[in-house]
Amino acid sequence: MAWDDLNFRKGLGGFGRPPLRLPTLQLRQINRQFLVGLLVVMVVIWLASGSYTVDPDQRGIILRFGKHVATTEPGLHWHWPYPLETVLRPRVTEVQRVELGFRTIDPGPPARYAEVASESLMLTGDENIIDVDLVVQYRIAEPTKYLFKVRHLSDTVKSASEAALREVVGRRHIDEALTVGKLDIQEATKALLQSILDTYESGLLVVAVQLQEVQPPKQVIDAFKDVASAREDKIRLINEAEGYRSAMIPEIRGKVESVLREAEAFREEKIRRAQGETQRFLQVLREYQQAKEITKKRLLLETLEEVLPQMDKVILEEKAGTNVLPVLPLGKPDIPTDLESRGEKR
Amino acid sequence: MPRVSAWWVVSLGVLLVIASRTFYTVSETEQVVITQLGRPVRLMKSPGLHLKVPFLQQLTFFEDRLLDYDAAPAPIITRDKKNLVVDNYAKWHISDPLLFLQTVHDEVGAQARLDDIIYSKVREQLGLHDLVELIASKREPIMRAVTASSHAASMAYGIAVIDVRIKRADLPPENAQAVYGRMRTEREREAKRYRSEGQEEALKIRAETDKQKTIMLAEAYEHEQAIRGEGDAAAMRVYAEAFQQDPDFFAFSRTLEAYRKSLKGKTTLLLPSQMEFLKYLRE
Repeated sequence: MAWDDLNFRKGLGGFGRPPLRLPTLQLRQINRQFLVGLLVVMVVIWLASGSYTVDPDQRGIILRFGKHVATTEPGLHWHWPYPLETVLRPRVTEVQRVELGFRTIDPGPPARYAEVASESLMLTGDENIIDVDLVVQYRIAEPTKYLFKVRHLSDTVKSASEAALREVVGRRHIDEALTVGKLDIQEATKALLQSILDTYESGLLVVAVQLQEVQPPKQVIDAFKDVASAREDKIRLINEAEGYRSAMIPEIRGKVESVLREAEAFREEKIRRAQGETQRFLQVLREYQQAKEITKKRLLLETLEEVLPQMDKVILEEKAGTNVLPVLPLGKPDIPTDLESRGEKR
Repeated sequence: MPRVSAWWVVSLGVLLVIASRTFYTVSETEQVVITQLGRPVRLMKSPGLHLKVPFLQQLTFFEDRLLDYDAAPAPIITRDKKNLVVDNYAKWHISDPLLFLQTVHDEVGAQARLDDIIYSKVREQLGLHDLVELIASKREPIMRAVTASSHAASMAYGIAVIDVRIKRADLPPENAQAVYGRMRTEREREAKRYRSEGQEEALKIRAETDKQKTIMLAEAYEHEQAIRGEGDAAAMRVYAEAFQQDPDFFAFSRTLEAYRKSLKGKTTLLLPSQMEFLKYLRE
C-alpha cells in the first residue's frame, strides 16, 4: 500500500544544487539580484510542499527523520518539508476483510465463490471433521501501532484467524458446532483473535467475525441430511398415529353412546309395553270378573273363529282304533300317518 | 569571483559528503547496529536523526517490527500414535541485533534457524500429548509451552519468539477418509434410530388407541346389558304384579293370544269329534 510505504519520497530535489556559472563581470549586479530572487522562490516552493490534507477516513502520522512526532486529525495541515519530515496517512475507518475457506471471485450479483478446502476443513473436539467458512472484518484502531509494530499485517490477520477459529472449533463437538454453537463460535473466535492481535500490538480492531457456512464435509453431507429427514420421518410417523387416534376415539365414543341409547330405549320400551299390556289385562279382568263363564266361552269362540278358517281341519271319530285312521275327511286327504290327537282344552 | 565560487563549490561538496556520512536516520520500524571496522560497537534503537563517526563506522539496519515465520505443513505423531499434519506459524522479533548479526547474520539465516528450532519444539511438545488434548482441551497450554521452549532456544541467536501457534492441525488424507467413514456410519445409525423411534411411538399410539377402543366397546356392552336387564326386570315385575291378581284368567287369555299368533297358515288340525266346539255338528 502506497500510503504506508516508509520509503515514500516527496518534495523538491533543490538541496545541494550547484550555483549557476556566471558568464561576465558586467552582469554581476543583476545576476546577484536574480540569484537571491530565485533562491527565495525556491525556498517558498519548498516550504509550500509541506502542506498536506488528511481525508476524513485518515489520520496523519508525522515522521521527523523517521521518528513519529505527531498525529493529525482530518483537515489541511503543514509539516516541515522533505527531508525533515514526512507524513503517512493510513485509512483508519476502512473496514478490511479476510476470507477463510473460500474466496470471492466475483462480488456479483450474482456473487461467485471458490472453495478453499484446506482452510475450511477442520477437526472438532470429538475428532470429526467439519467445513467452516469465515469472514473476519477489521480496521485500524491505533495507527502508530499498525504502522510500526508488525510486518505483513494482513497475512498475520489471516494466520491468526485460522489459528483462533481452529482452536475455538476444536473445543466443541460437531453437533454443537453445526447447530446451536454458531453464535458462540463467532463470539469466541472474535475474542480470541482480538487477544492474539493485541499481544502482537497490531493496532487492529476486529470489527466482526462472521461464520458464513458451517456444514459437514462434502463426503458425508448426504448422511447428515438423511438424519434431518429421518427426524422428519419420525415426526411424520407419530403424527400419522396421532391422526389415527384422533379419528378413532371420537368414533368409538359415538358408537358407545349409540349402544347405550339403544339399550335405554329397549328398557323404556319393555317397561312401557309391560305397563300397557298389564293395564289392558287389568281392564279386561275387571269385566271378566263380572261374568266369568260367559266371557270365557265368548273369548274362546272368538279365538276359534279367528284361527280355524286359515287351517285345514280333520275331524276324528273317537271310537275308532288307533291303527286305522278313522278319518272324516273334510278337506284335503293329505294326512300324516302317525297321529296324536290334540284336544282342545275344554 | 570564479575562483572564489569554485572554492565554495568544492568545500560545500566536501561538507555534504561528510554530513551524509555523519548523520543518519532511524525509522520507527528499524534498529541499527553500528560497526567499526567490521566490529559491532553500538546499537541504536530510538528513531530519529543521529550522529556517528564518519567513514570509520558502518551501519547495518534490522527490522524492529514483529516478523513472520511460516513453516510448511509437517507430519507429527501424537502420544496416542495418531498422525497429524501440522501447519504452524510463529511471530518473532530481533531482540538483540548485535547477537543476531554475529550468529545468523540476516533474516534468511534466521528463518533457517527458526525452522530447526520451532519444528523440533513442536514435534517434542505434541508428542507428549494425545490428539484430543491437542485439538480440544490443551491447545493453549501446549502452544504456550512450545513458545516458551522455542524462545529459550532462540535467545542464543538474538531472536525472541513471541508466539507459536498451530494454524492448522489436520489428519492426513488416508486418516481423513477413515474419519469420514466413521462419521457416515454414525449418522446412518442416528437416522435409523430416529426412524425406528418414530415407528415405536406410532405403534404405541396405535396400540393404545386400539386398546381404548376395545375397552370402551366392552364397557358399553356392560352398560348395555345392565340397562336391558333393568328393562326386562321391570317389565317382569309389572307383568307379575298384574297377572297375580288372577292367574287362572291370565293363563286362559294368554293361551288364547298364543293360539292366535301360533296357529296360522298351512297347518292341518285334527279335531276330535267329541270336542265341545263340534258338539252341535254331531247332533
